[in-house]
Amino acid sequence: MATITEQVKALNEQAKFPPWYLKDLYRYLSAFGVLTAIYMGFRIYQGAYGVSTGLDATEPAFEIYWMRLFNFNVTFVTLFAGVSWGYLWFTRDKNLENLKPKEEIRRYLTLTMWISIYTFAVYWAGSYFAEQDNSWHQVAIRDTPFTANHIIEFYFNFPMYVILGGCAWLYARTRLPLYAKGISLPLTLAVVGPFMILVSVGFNEWGHTFWFREEFFAAPIHYGFVIGVWFAHGVGGILLQGVTRLIELLDGLEETA
Amino acid sequence: MSANLSPRTFRPYTGEKARIARAYDYLVLVLALFLFIGSFHLHFALTVGDWDFWVDWKDRQWWPLVTPLIGITFPAAVQAVLWTNFRLPLGATLCVACLSIGTWIARVFAYHYWNYFPINMVMPSTMLPSALFLDAVLMLSNSLTITAIFGGSAFALLFYPSNWPIFGMFHLPVEAGNSQLTVADMFGFQYIRTGMPEYLRIIERGTLRTYGQIATPLSAFCSALLCTLMYTLWWHIGKWFATTRYLNRI
Repeated sequence: MATITEQVKALNEQAKFPPWYLKDLYRYLSAFGVLTAIYMGFRIYQGAYGVSTGLDATEPAFEIYWMRLFNFNVTFVTLFAGVSWGYLWFTRDKNLENLKPKEEIRRYLTLTMWISIYTFAVYWAGSYFAEQDNSWHQVAIRDTPFTANHIIEFYFNFPMYVILGGCAWLYARTRLPLYAKGISLPLTLAVVGPFMILVSVGFNEWGHTFWFREEFFAAPIHYGFVIGVWFAHGVGGILLQGVTRLIELLDGLEETA
Repeated sequence: MSANLSPRTFRPYTGEKARIARAYDYLVLVLALFLFIGSFHLHFALTVGDWDFWVDWKDRQWWPLVTPLIGITFPAAVQAVLWTNFRLPLGATLCVACLSIGTWIARVFAYHYWNYFPINMVMPSTMLPSALFLDAVLMLSNSLTITAIFGGSAFALLFYPSNWPIFGMFHLPVEAGNSQLTVADMFGFQYIRTGMPEYLRIIERGTLRTYGQIATPLSAFCSALLCTLMYTLWWHIGKWFATTRYLNRI
């Protein structure tokens, strides 16, 4: 049976990887790789210098190994916020009315990737380094709010997931018609609520000016973090918004093999 | 589901459409995995974490009471979304499995390898049997009320027996310094922490101590009652957060 040019084109399209709807797959996987390298790098750094230079905030070595890292972190996250949010804003789609359904489908999948990267950063901040903070406080008396773990947890991890959450919010707002027409309540809750965890650092550290020897995690000064993380359930609403729209878009697409 | 979808939309897709839908599923799966490890773990660690971190905090009055009570929160909220909208009977198991992954990674790398606590001292408890039961009750009953009453109660009541094979050996008595104490207490005395559970022993001087071995079942049943209420509350919290509203301004 003869194969016509259109069929060959279609077959080539099918064989292409990643397919059109996963155009950003490699960038997505690279983001996981870069973030994993950064967070594991921090953990290795803590293992190397935590005990030798991170126990006494008045030591000159603490200034060199930890306060320099603190300054680097604050500078880095500030620049990263400006660059990433600026990029997403200035490259926004100004012609959303004419967006093709296929492109909209692709962007919904890319938005899911953005939210995934956001939740990956939430994992490191909310799970690993958060519990590690308890471990560190059990063996090192806190004499500064800038401990060997806080410098990474509060001044890199927290801002990082806030920035990535902001990226997801901006991506949706600037590239998807429904999110551009109205402000998605669940997406906003899922980004702004965990952002309040960063703000809660102030309440937490103020509380620790009263108690610094006995370290209990189940203490009311930590409840600001807890309430902030409840807002992660907004992701359920994002999922429903996304699925609903994707079904509409997929129903409108022509059947292909 | 919140949107008014026509019955036609529920036909299974084929070809490229099916591949797109499947790709979206996988992306959501990765998203959910990290979301619930990060968020549920933080919520859990900062409310009942101390009981979960340390073997000598695993007492018979507070541990069986507070751990299931906080442990049922996220499962209820996630079930409210996944079961109601997608008929996926795995909300509780997903949350608890994510929590287990997060706690195990932290205990090994943050406690054991960084600060040299023995892994036996910081082993996390498990709520997997409780979560499986909760999902099964919801799936079979398709009822919030039945799941809250029977599933919620079972979630709490199964907690202590599920963990006893793991932690029972640390409750064996030993004699040290002319005092009788448990192996778990010995860990506490050998590895001094700023979070030494002084207050647990003070609490144990209360009236419940005279109840002897009955204290734990009492705590579990108290937890069962509270879990029933907590489940319902968090089901509605989950539903509230899963709004599909768009606002004009914030």
